[in-house]
Amino acid sequence: MNRLKPLNRKAHQIDAAPTEDDVEKVVAMSAAVAGCATTFDPGWELDPFLGVAGLCQPMEADLYGCSDPCWWPAQVPDTLHNYQDWSTGNDDAARDWKALQSVFPK
Amino acid sequence: MRRTDHHRTSPRALALAAGLVTQLAAAGAYAAPPAAEALVNTKCAACHTAKGDGKWDRISDSRRTPEGWDMTVARMGFAHGVKLSHEERSAIVKYLSDAYGLSPDETVAHRYIIERQPSVVEHHDNKVIGDTCARCHSYARVAVQRRTEDDWRKLAHFHVGQFPTVEIQAGGRDRNWFELATGDAAVALGKVYGYDSASWAKWKAQKPVDMSGTWRLVGHKPGTGAYEGSATIQRTGDDRYSVAMELRYENGATESATGSSIVYTGHEWRATVQQGGRNVHQVFSLQPGGAVLTGRWFEEDNDAVGGDLKAVRAGSAATVLSVQPAMLRSGSRASVTINGTGLDGDVDLGPGVKVRRVVARSADRVTLEVDVAAGAAIGARTVSVGKAQGADALKVFKRIDYVKITPDHPMARVGGAGGSTPKVPAQLEAIAYSAGADGKTGTADDLRLGVVDASWSLANLNKAAEEMRDVEYAGRIEKNGLFVTNDAGPNPDRKYGANNVGELRVTATVKDGGRTVKATAPLIVTVQRWNDPPIR
Repeated sequence: MNRLKPLNRKAHQIDAAPTEDDVEKVVAMSAAVAGCATTFDPGWELDPFLGVAGLCQPMEADLYGCSDPCWWPAQVPDTLHNYQDWSTGNDDAARDWKALQSVFPK
Repeated sequence: MRRTDHHRTSPRALALAAGLVTQLAAAGAYAAPPAAEALVNTKCAACHTAKGDGKWDRISDSRRTPEGWDMTVARMGFAHGVKLSHEERSAIVKYLSDAYGLSPDETVAHRYIIERQPSVVEHHDNKVIGDTCARCHSYARVAVQRRTEDDWRKLAHFHVGQFPTVEIQAGGRDRNWFELATGDAAVALGKVYGYDSASWAKWKAQKPVDMSGTWRLVGHKPGTGAYEGSATIQRTGDDRYSVAMELRYENGATESATGSSIVYTGHEWRATVQQGGRNVHQVFSLQPGGAVLTGRWFEEDNDAVGGDLKAVRAGSAATVLSVQPAMLRSGSRASVTINGTGLDGDVDLGPGVKVRRVVARSADRVTLEVDVAAGAAIGARTVSVGKAQGADALKVFKRIDYVKITPDHPMARVGGAGGSTPKVPAQLEAIAYSAGADGKTGTADDLRLGVVDASWSLANLNKAAEEMRDVEYAGRIEKNGLFVTNDAGPNPDRKYGANNVGELRVTATVKDGGRTVKATAPLIVTVQRWNDPPIR
C-alpha cells in the first residue's frame, strides 16, 4: 500500500484509516445504530468510519449497482428475485430516481 | 456497487431499524377462529403441508410479532404470487400472531424495533448471532422471532437462495458464511431464540383480558414535552376496540386522538388514531396482569416523530405516574403537578420539599405550590399521595452540571422532492444532569434530571465535511431540536453532484441561571432506504 497514492475521496478515507490495531479497537467500541438510523458497517448508509464521506456520491450513481446484484437487499430492492421490475423504465437512476418506489407492500 | 472494499476493516455488526405498522387490521380472536384457520388451509397449505391440529410445514415451526408475520405473509405475495385481499392478509396475520406469537416477556428487550424507536444503539446479546445476522439486519429483527433450530437453519438456506450475494458481501466474505450460518449460528439461534419457551407456554394458557374501560395515561413526546391524559377504550368485537384519548402537554397544548385497535397475541395493541390532524400508529403492549399498557406512538410516514406512553387502568392499584416538572432547584418555589390514579391522602415529596399550598386535587391529579429548601439534598425523591407512590418521580438539584444530547448517535435521511420516500428527521433533546452530592461528573451518583430547553446550532463535523460544506446543504434545526433534512436526489450545486448528506456536529446550549452549559453530538445525514418494512 505504501506505493499507492490515493486519488479520490474514498481512497483518502481508507488511507487515513487507523492502523490495524486501532481498527480492532474501533471494532470493539462500535455498536449498532438502530431505528431510522439503520446502519451497518460498512453499510448502505454509513461508511467504515461511521460517516458518509466514504459512500458513493451521489447515491443514485450506484443505486442499480446495489439493486441488480441484490447487494443490499435489506435496504434496496433486489431486482434479482423479489422486485424484478423495480427499476424497469427508469434506466438512469440519477435522472429517474423520483419514479422509484419504496417497496414494502402496505 | 456500494460495497466497501476495505481490506483493513473487519466488517462488523451494526444494523437496525424499526417497524412499519402496516395497518394490521384484522378479524378474529385470540383463540384462533376456524375461519382464519380455514383461510390458512386455502391460501398457504398448497405449499406448506398441513399437519393437522393447526400445524403446517414451516409455518408452525416459528413464532413472531404481528409485524413479523405481516412481513412473511406479504413476502408470500410479492415473492411467490399468493393473492390475498387486504382482509385475508389481515385475518391470516391475526390468526398466526395469536397461535404463534411472542409473550410480553419475549419481546420486552427488543421492543424498540417494533416501536420504531429512532437511532437506537444496539448491543448484541450473542456474538455469533450478531456477526451472522446483524451486519445487514437489526439484531432485534432476529431477536423478536422464535424458531426451532432446524427452522433457523432453513432460514440460512433461504438467504442463500434468495440473496446469493449474502456470501460475498463485505459482511459475509471474511469467513465461511454458509458453514457458519447453517452451523454455529443456527445452533446458537436455536438455543437463544428457540421455539419452545416456558414463558410462551404460560402466556398461551392465559385467558385474554378485555381492555375496555377508562385508562389514565402519561408520556413524553420529544420536541414537545411531557403530557398526561386519559383514554376510553370500548370493545367493538373479538380483540377489537375503539379508542378515544385526551392528551394535555406541559406546554399547555392539548390533543385528541380517536381511532380503532386490534389486540394480537393477547397483549400486542396496534391502533391507528387521528391525532392532531395526523394519522398516528400506536404500538403498545399490555403487561401481564392486564392493568398497565406501555409503548410508543408515532406519525404515519414519519415514525421519527412520536412519543412514549404508559397507561394504567382506572380503578387498579393507586400509583403516582409522573410529576411535572420532574426537576426542582433547591432554594426555589415552584408549582408542581402530580399525575396518577387513586391520589387520595397525604402528599409527601420527600426530604427538603415542603408543600406550601394545595392548589387543586382529584384522584388523578394534584396541583401544588411547593418550597424546596436551600439546603435540600441533591437526589431523586419518592413521591407519594396516600397509598400511591412514584419512585424517583422527582429530582432535586442545585445546578445543571452537564448536558447530554439524545439520541447519542442521531441520524436523519434525505427525502421528499417528489420521490417516494419522505424525509426522515431527527428529533434531538437536551438532557440535564447533576453531578450529584460528590460534585464529580461521571460518577455513580450522577443524576439525570430531565429534558431542558436548549438553543441548537450546527457545524461541520470534521475536515471532510468542511471541504464538502456539509452544513450548508444537509438541513436545518428548529427551535425544538427537530433536525429536518434537505431534499433527496443528486444536487448539481454540490461537488460530485452529491446528495444533501453530511456529517454535522450539533450543539445544544443550555442556560442555567447566569451559566451556560453545552453539549455536542455527531449528527449524520444520510441517504434514503428503498425497502422499508415494518421491522427493519
